[in-house]
Amino acid sequence: MKHAFIWGILMMSFFPMYLMAVISLKSSKQFFANPWLPTPPFHWENWRIAWGMVGQSIGVSVFVCVTVTVVTLVLAVFASFFFGRFRMPGSGILWAIFLVLLLMPAIANLIPLFSLLRGLRLLNTLSALILVGASGGQVFCVYVLKHFVEEIPGDLFEAAEMDGASLLQQVRHVVVPMSGPILATLAILRFVAEWNSFVLPLVVLRDDAKLPLAVKLYQLEGAYVQEWGPLMAAYSIASIPIIVLFLFTMQMFVKGLSAGAIKG
Amino acid sequence: MKQVSIHNVRYYWRVYLFVLPSLLLLLVFSYFPTVSAVYHSFFNWDGADIKIFIGWDNFRRALTDEVLGRAFIVVAILVLANLVKMIPSIVTAVVIHRLRSDGWAHVYRVLFVVPMIVPAMVWLLIWKYFFDPSYGIWNKLLSATGGMAVLRLIDGVFGWGVFVKGVEPAWLGRQELIVPALIIWGFPWVGVVGVLIYLAGLSQIDNQVYEAGEIDGVGWFRKFLNIELPLIMTQVRLNLVLMIISTLQAYGLVLVLLGDAGGPGGAGMVPGLYMFRKAFVDQEAGYACAIGLLVFVAILGLTLINNRIVRVSK
Repeated sequence: MKHAFIWGILMMSFFPMYLMAVISLKSSKQFFANPWLPTPPFHWENWRIAWGMVGQSIGVSVFVCVTVTVVTLVLAVFASFFFGRFRMPGSGILWAIFLVLLLMPAIANLIPLFSLLRGLRLLNTLSALILVGASGGQVFCVYVLKHFVEEIPGDLFEAAEMDGASLLQQVRHVVVPMSGPILATLAILRFVAEWNSFVLPLVVLRDDAKLPLAVKLYQLEGAYVQEWGPLMAAYSIASIPIIVLFLFTMQMFVKGLSAGAIKG
Repeated sequence: MKQVSIHNVRYYWRVYLFVLPSLLLLLVFSYFPTVSAVYHSFFNWDGADIKIFIGWDNFRRALTDEVLGRAFIVVAILVLANLVKMIPSIVTAVVIHRLRSDGWAHVYRVLFVVPMIVPAMVWLLIWKYFFDPSYGIWNKLLSATGGMAVLRLIDGVFGWGVFVKGVEPAWLGRQELIVPALIIWGFPWVGVVGVLIYLAGLSQIDNQVYEAGEIDGVGWFRKFLNIELPLIMTQVRLNLVLMIISTLQAYGLVLVLLGDAGGPGGAGMVPGLYMFRKAFVDQEAGYACAIGLLVFVAILGLTLINNRIVRVSK
């Protein structure tokens, strides 16, 4: 029946993660003997080793992702205020500039982007990742937010204006509170997208210390061949920050998704 | 919405400041690189200082490049595979939607988010491990469930020489197995965002429609075809377009699983990876730009065709 089917799918989806957790606690000998089932004694030191391998890049990733998310959303809220609340001369052209990018695949951009970053002396910097990440997130976020801002009753803005609110204050006190759930959803989507970003950091960064998580894990897999225990522990550790993020924001995320799906 | 005419701009000029930062980022980091890519595709460029104008040569070369041709075939296969891989998400969403208990539905919704929050790189590396011939789980699973025996049987009939007794197939190491591996990875292919979005769409369905169906004695499959499918069609279509666009340009997957050469015999080479390799390994950045642009045009073309089809059907 239905539950059986769902649990079947769930088991299959969760199996890799189960395996990851189980193997992370095995020594090489235990792993070769039996990779499937938990086998005490548990080798917690694998986790200590793994932390040594990825700890720093987790810090880097958290810093970059939080910054990118904040910058993306602040700029997107401003832009959506421009497009959703006002129709200024030239709005049409500007909106077209944004819309076109929705359909334009960015694949061809990588190489000139690299060259541009080199020209701007931004190679091997985290700022490069932040700027490109924030810019990449603009189009989708502005597109979604614009519709939400349009739905905000004009009276709220006019009341604020009459109270002497500046434009900035209007954004803070009208736009932001009214867009709560969708902002949370966009933030999470942006954060996760940036957390998974791989190719750009791979080609832009040289210093080991600056590598974000995805790149670090990729390199580790090549370097620590067949040290499955610590590797799996590293993968487990890499998953934890986002799990934490989701635990805190689950409600808002699902609510925001529903709101967005209905409008879309 | 507040209409501001040209005459009032001098009072409202500050409004433009709100779109300025966004616009600047887009112009510098999105538009400029694209223009630069078009420009450089007409040059023999090494990515740095060496630039020789060669006109259409890069494009001529790309159109006769066998490796590139094969790469496009591979992504075409992957798009078809991803089409099939969309099904589990839809089915799962429908099944969850049909549950009588709201409590359980909520539990499942939360549970299905969990795989989403595992970083993509972790998924890729875990599956890379799965495909390891000696220690990976995939071969062990096949043997344990009898799948391996079936494969060996089929191999005997077709004479591939891949699934032979005594040999552990190297899914990422044998030319013939690479494309299957790229298709199989991620099983059971239930994408989180897909399931949640379909569920949201399905929740819009009025109960009366179901009741009418019950009265007419409609079976569960007909119910799906006539009630649920049409109503989630917009989301399905959207996901379809997004899937095609992303599959056509994706190469991170192949890069991680197979390396920048696309694996043995370049069997896993995809256009995006070819572009990457040409630029960063072979230092042929001009050619890489041309390749990138060809992919770009292909995607744009498909998107426009898809839009036209959608408009016609509506």
